[in-house]
Amino acid sequence: MRTQSLVDDQGGLSARLSLILTAFILAWLAGGICLGQGSTGVVEARVVTVTEAAHPGTRVKVAVVAEIAPGFHINDHKPTLDYLIPTELKLEPTRELSVEKVVYPKGELKKFEFSDQGLSVYQDKAVVGALLKLAAGVPPGEYTIKGKLAYQACNEHACLPPTSVPLSITVKVVPRGVTLKRVHTDVFDKIQFD
Amino acid sequence: MIRGKLLAGAVLAVLLAAALYLANRYWIAPLATRQAKASSDHPQAPDFTLTDLSGNTVKLAEYRGKVILLDFWATWCGPCRIEIPGFVQLQNRYRDQGFVVIGISMDDGPEPVREFYNEYRMNYTVVMGNDTIGELFGGILGLPTSLLIGRDGRIYAKHVGAAPLSVFEGEIKKLLASEGTGEVADFKPSGRSAPDEKIEVGEPAEINSEVPGVNLSKLSAAQKDQFKKVLEGQPCTCGCKFSLLKCRLDDRSCGVSRKLAREQLDKFLKSPV
Repeated sequence: MRTQSLVDDQGGLSARLSLILTAFILAWLAGGICLGQGSTGVVEARVVTVTEAAHPGTRVKVAVVAEIAPGFHINDHKPTLDYLIPTELKLEPTRELSVEKVVYPKGELKKFEFSDQGLSVYQDKAVVGALLKLAAGVPPGEYTIKGKLAYQACNEHACLPPTSVPLSITVKVVPRGVTLKRVHTDVFDKIQFD
Repeated sequence: MIRGKLLAGAVLAVLLAAALYLANRYWIAPLATRQAKASSDHPQAPDFTLTDLSGNTVKLAEYRGKVILLDFWATWCGPCRIEIPGFVQLQNRYRDQGFVVIGISMDDGPEPVREFYNEYRMNYTVVMGNDTIGELFGGILGLPTSLLIGRDGRIYAKHVGAAPLSVFEGEIKKLLASEGTGEVADFKPSGRSAPDEKIEVGEPAEINSEVPGVNLSKLSAAQKDQFKKVLEGQPCTCGCKFSLLKCRLDDRSCGVSRKLAREQLDKFLKSPV
């Protein structure tokens, strides 16, 4: 009886111990198991023309207004150092519209951590002018010239790959008798076409 | 007597269990946490095979066991150029301890790179990179981008933009000191890289996808066409003025279109057209 009781006690104790140990081991295991666990867009560009329309056979001034994201700069068309990639307006002439001249703004001389000397760059805004020529005898209508503004942007610490903004310049041609209205004077007054 | 022994055994068992619990809580679990965190925060560097400036094949896997500074750079990038003399110094200083610099040039062609290599007396391997290799390393959005790879082949730090030499040197020393498997569980990158910034690598299913950067493997051929139409109808807001599809195809490095296209895929998977 005594032995039986001891066996009972022993069995109960063992069961309780097993329970406690199992609980600890489960907690441990559970703990263990639960442990696992472009450069595009820097520049936005829009195109404006000096007049709302143009006459056949005349020159048309257009401007590409490039807004540069804060903190970034793009290189001058004539960069200070020869390894820098210049900003460039590339236009594809058509039969009706040819490109006579492209006028770039003068860059701003800025000092950066990564260069011993100041670099000529465009920041905030750059306005590139283009002088287009309408072929004589072009009938009234709308004519488009396509192109892109190619640039390579950097900030103080890093550079983005060279890229470009696609552009589409549409010129409305009206008969010679129609009076032309000048627009965007604030933009064109700052471009030295001559 | 037996009861005494049983009690002593019980006490011992409880003590053992308690010891196990405490050891787990304060030693094993934190270690496992750190290891699990190291594994997830520091992904294995994807292997690549590229060509160096002499036309030799360079395979990243062949450098396994070394600490590698993988530098994405270009000759037209001012911040990249100022880092190079420092990397030349590091290569000299730690080469014998199992450290190596590999430059991945993102220039269009090798000519300006060769010229630069000679001018700057570069003393480490430079290979010619491409957009795909950039995507393989989670997308190289700005140059320089420098990755530090440990002896175990894991990427421990990613620095976007020029960083001081001391930052690299500190991290290199930490990684060189690793033993055994080479895993550095408590590695914390310094410098400009945000400590909590997750280092990501690209998946082949994303890189080789019909829509670069977006994993279309869950879509049937018909669904892929439908999804591409969805992307064609969505504008990209990065400033390119293209549709999401065209931006993805024309500018693989554009992070904006990649993010938007992936969001569109999530939507599409929830409610396919």
